[in-house]
Amino acid sequence: MRIGRSQRFDQARPFATLALLFAAWLIAPTAVKSFLRASFFELNAPVPVAASYARDLQEFWSLRLHSKDELIEAGRDQARLNASYALSIQTNAELEAEIGRLQALLRLPPIDRFRFEHARVVQRDFSGWWQRMIIRKGADFGIPTGAPVVFAGGVVGRIAEVHATTSVVELITDPAVRLAAEVAGDTRPVSYQGGLNPTFGPARGLLEFVPLDIWADAEHPKLLVTSGLGGVFPPGLLIGRVVKVESSTDGLFKTGVVQLDPRLAELTEVTVLVPAAPAPAS
Amino acid sequence: MRGTLVLFLTLLLLQALLGQANHSLTGLHVHLFAAGLFVTYGSLMLPFGPGLATSVLAGLLCDAAAPVAFGTQALLFGLAHIVVFNLRDRIPREDPAARRFIALAVNAAVFLALSAVLIRRGLGRPAAWPRLASDLLASEIALALVAPWFFALQAQALRLARVEAA
Repeated sequence: MRIGRSQRFDQARPFATLALLFAAWLIAPTAVKSFLRASFFELNAPVPVAASYARDLQEFWSLRLHSKDELIEAGRDQARLNASYALSIQTNAELEAEIGRLQALLRLPPIDRFRFEHARVVQRDFSGWWQRMIIRKGADFGIPTGAPVVFAGGVVGRIAEVHATTSVVELITDPAVRLAAEVAGDTRPVSYQGGLNPTFGPARGLLEFVPLDIWADAEHPKLLVTSGLGGVFPPGLLIGRVVKVESSTDGLFKTGVVQLDPRLAELTEVTVLVPAAPAPAS
Repeated sequence: MRGTLVLFLTLLLLQALLGQANHSLTGLHVHLFAAGLFVTYGSLMLPFGPGLATSVLAGLLCDAAAPVAFGTQALLFGLAHIVVFNLRDRIPREDPAARRFIALAVNAAVFLALSAVLIRRGLGRPAAWPRLASDLLASEIALALVAPWFFALQAQALRLARVEAA
């Protein structure tokens, strides 16, 4: 049966409508698109934030079910940990004072200082295309876009978007994230890129431009830390462990695989390093 | 207009529940994608204008939470909506099994289209595709289980709002 001209036109009309809408969208001002994007984000934001508060409340009530003996024992273990942390803080303060004295003596530029903003994780979104999480602090706490995010085990990622009361963190497991790094004990820069996130397996990253004389394997891993190049992440923060290094196709460098901390997939609290205001010139 | 608003509210609920499910599955590195549920019922049961508006708004809602150009998923959802709308006279759209099949097909098509659009995010590496394949498989299984419940919810919502299906 031949399809008439009017029938073909009826079938094509919806596509023409969509094409017109798409063309109108392309020429729409950027301000309109930004406003709509923020509006749609904030429209959905209260639900995951409320869910995160509900999880915190659930955790609180589950802890209340513990016996007093269990809580006393946990408190005792915590006290030992706190004592060792207090000693570390004291040592850190002495080292910072020594660094300040040496900087003044040698007229060196000051090291970047950061303000620590601790934030609860609202929602994690780890797909094969991107790896992001939403945290419960935003412009209301002065979080800037691009600020580094860390946790007890090292680097988490960086702030990708800042909203009124929440922020979006792009994790180091995201395929679009690249970091300037170095193997601990070696000052030559290497390039780290996220993106190997197999199902039911640990997250890994890729290394490029690894010098030819660096070796590592699963039995003898090497630590990978931030190099400080690029000015985003302070140097020395742990990224992961280099568990495999092999020659690349061009023979000039090696490539490698980095094993990341499995706790990245279960984080409930992170710390945002907000650059502190520079000291006024004397 | 009322039909668009009512269906959009059900899709807001879907987005919220999907976010919580994906949050819980991060430890297993599994991600659920449900474009089929966002598009299917509106394209099968609403007139063209309100249905397309619902699908496009749902796409914008998904885009707002994703690191993609704002409008990418809206365009993909709109295209999927139009394809299903053009075919709906040839499908038994009241049949739950047919609706489920359409949802699965739309979900897979939009998933692959989005992966192709995002190829520049490092997805050109062969190592990335097993993860995408397992995400698609998990999404299809979850969608097959959830679709009848969600379509019933949408039908009930339209009935409560006194919106007639087209």
